[in-house]
Amino acid sequence: MASIRSEPRTFNRLAARDSSTDLVATLTHAKLVRINKVTQEVEPWLAERWTASADGRRIDLQLRQNVVFSDGHPFTADDVLFSFAAAYDKRAASVLADSLRIGGRNLEVIAPDPHAIAILFPTPFAAGVRVLDNLPILPRHKLDAALRDGTLASAWGLSTPLSELVGLGPFVLADYRPGQRLVFVRNPRYWRTSPDGVALPYLDRLTVEIVPDQNAELLRLAAGQVDVTNGEIPPEAYPTVKRAADAGRVRIVELGVAAEADSLWFNLKPGAFAQDARAGWLQRDELRRAISLAVDRKAFADTVFLGAGEPVYGPETPANRKWYWTGTPQTPHDPAGARAMLAPLGLSDRDGDGMLEDARNVPARFTLITQKGRPRLERGAAVLRDELKKIGITMDVVALDANAVAERIGTGRYEAVYFHPSKSDTDPASTPDFWFSSGAAHLWNMAQPEPATEWEARIDELMTRQIASLDEGERKRLFDEVQRIFIEHAPVIYFAAPRVNLAMSSRVVNATPAATMSPLLWSPDTMAVVH
Amino acid sequence: MAVLLVVAVSSASLVLARLAPGDYATGALGIEARRETVEQARARYGLNKSIAAQYRDWLSRAVRLDFGNSLLYDRPVRDLVPERAANTAILAVSALVLATLVGLPLGIVSGTHRGVVFPRAIRSVSLLFLSLPPLLTSIFLVFVAARTGWFPISGIRSAVAPPGGAAADLLHHLIVPSAALALPLAAMFERLQAQAMSEVINEPFVRAALARGVPRSRIVWRDGLKAALRPVAAVYGLVIGALLSGSFAVEVITSWPGLGSLMLDALRARDVYLVAGCAGAGAAFLAFGTLVSDLALAIVEPRATQ
Repeated sequence: MASIRSEPRTFNRLAARDSSTDLVATLTHAKLVRINKVTQEVEPWLAERWTASADGRRIDLQLRQNVVFSDGHPFTADDVLFSFAAAYDKRAASVLADSLRIGGRNLEVIAPDPHAIAILFPTPFAAGVRVLDNLPILPRHKLDAALRDGTLASAWGLSTPLSELVGLGPFVLADYRPGQRLVFVRNPRYWRTSPDGVALPYLDRLTVEIVPDQNAELLRLAAGQVDVTNGEIPPEAYPTVKRAADAGRVRIVELGVAAEADSLWFNLKPGAFAQDARAGWLQRDELRRAISLAVDRKAFADTVFLGAGEPVYGPETPANRKWYWTGTPQTPHDPAGARAMLAPLGLSDRDGDGMLEDARNVPARFTLITQKGRPRLERGAAVLRDELKKIGITMDVVALDANAVAERIGTGRYEAVYFHPSKSDTDPASTPDFWFSSGAAHLWNMAQPEPATEWEARIDELMTRQIASLDEGERKRLFDEVQRIFIEHAPVIYFAAPRVNLAMSSRVVNATPAATMSPLLWSPDTMAVVH
Repeated sequence: MAVLLVVAVSSASLVLARLAPGDYATGALGIEARRETVEQARARYGLNKSIAAQYRDWLSRAVRLDFGNSLLYDRPVRDLVPERAANTAILAVSALVLATLVGLPLGIVSGTHRGVVFPRAIRSVSLLFLSLPPLLTSIFLVFVAARTGWFPISGIRSAVAPPGGAAADLLHHLIVPSAALALPLAAMFERLQAQAMSEVINEPFVRAALARGVPRSRIVWRDGLKAALRPVAAVYGLVIGALLSGSFAVEVITSWPGLGSLMLDALRARDVYLVAGCAGAGAAFLAFGTLVSDLALAIVEPRATQ
């Protein structure tokens, strides 16, 4: 028995990206390759082997033979071609399309024979097959008509007869009660077997209860009514779960520090504060560096994550073992140094009240928006407010709901944001929209026609080389330099990341916990329970 | 009047949800989505139209009882809302019945006895529950359910029907959420009834009946009760409204798949059509509750309807 906090929006993974829709796709579909969320390595999946060309622009994949969908229809290269066509279809406007593009351009996919696929990249792409982990392979025989008549976006909605929902995954959706639960049963035609030849999945049935309230969800876990939840234990709930663990009903797994930290960034779009009296200092690097110096990261981690956090100093955390820059400078806690850094901007205490004003006597004050209803973001914003007050900066915190925050960020109507953007993969080549100045997720100044600053132009150049290089050592060196520049100019400031704790019932065995969107259910076919 | 109320409330909800910052496309696609992708999605959902144009389109369909498709679930609102409204009705009716069965008799006891320990205890407990919102009572009851294992912590039905059958399973799941709603309500009924009873018991006709030797219990439970039910019957309409608003929090805490939790999801997602549908259903509940209140008053006090 598992639980999720919200209903899936659809059974069509192309149409929505919420965690519940993604979970349904994980349980019922399969991909060409799978990124192992524990090791971060790529594993053969529906593609059993592949070769890459020397120039990094072509990958040839051999598909597994004798694989069939859950309704018995054979899986062939046609289904792969179809899945890409569906993801790229303009009328469908799939949420997955951007994650399957390189430099804003679609991949070209050809099928030399029914069990082979060739992927042609518009530019050399070192991350190679990793991008294929973004696309579930869909049944052409079920969805082709919808693609042709332009209704794919609304295909496989929540009222679709369950017999139509066909996939290559370990489970089949057998029952759906809106607002209550989803019941999955094993796919008898699933293609994977265990190393000793036993047909997977081990579980015959997986019930996913919809429990919107986190407290109720954790109580059900502690009471043994649910075996796994679809998220990590929040710090404030740890004592409850710990008591259940001490009583032997639950097992807690600590996964170490998370790969992502909450982020503070300013609106650095040129001209955003053109009519504002604070234009002279609000977008300056020195302000952000001063903020970084002003915050005691250890105290921040202890307060925000209730003792279960670690200080973070750059865009990657040590959890990203492969790409974390080991030379990341550990910014000290230096409030005096922070004040000194602000002085050249004209910010000093001109009236002796302990708060800073600029040369025109405008108070050093700005507004930070964050998401309401997410305790760690609200706590983090409160700590930042208090720390900045000590160096004379007033930060007004405005908590808005998620939609309003997304709207402000998307339209650029904000001064500063404290939020938790998520990454799809640890390989920086898979998140170009964040690193490139032209990217849609280049948070502080999105989708620039030309890089607005020299350092962003430099990062663009380094990332272009990083993505294209086939030499892993060279890629690492280039990305280390990207991180160095990023930390120096601090377009985004990071303070701490939580230590990730997961909990599961004591009867669950063979789980592979990982700090990812579905931390226990990302690998559902090898999970089992003992009675 | 009821129809006007439903139309007005639905219209206002749709417009207000539309005016709130952000929209369904922004929320669904996230901050990482390209601007073009967001604009495509907004065009597909009709969110790029002006509020007036969107409202006009919605109204022209609504008069044909087509309330649009939920953006969140991609299902007709007129299918989604009744499904969930039925669950809320089950919860509301059971809470009302429970509150009535508990609150009225306790109110009679506490209103007709003064200076005795038990009635004083009833008054104290009522005051406690009056000050507790349904949100807190539901959290408390969920905690008790988790600790004792006597009741399901959440949900409306078990994944596997127990030996007692589906109806017994539903009743078992109903206990925690309906008690969470019923307890503050029962407290209100108890206070109202107690106040009314203590006034009636001092009426001349009651003193005269006692003097004639009519048993006290008969006077209290037959003659006095009928007179004292007036204020309770009069508030039933308001109670239905309170039940609806209280059920929002209870449904979320106890994972009861009702109108309240659906409305919350719709508001969070800025699903303007579903918000309008849920609000309209809520208004319909209120109108129905007012009718029930009028009927109850008519039964208790026929002269009030003349």
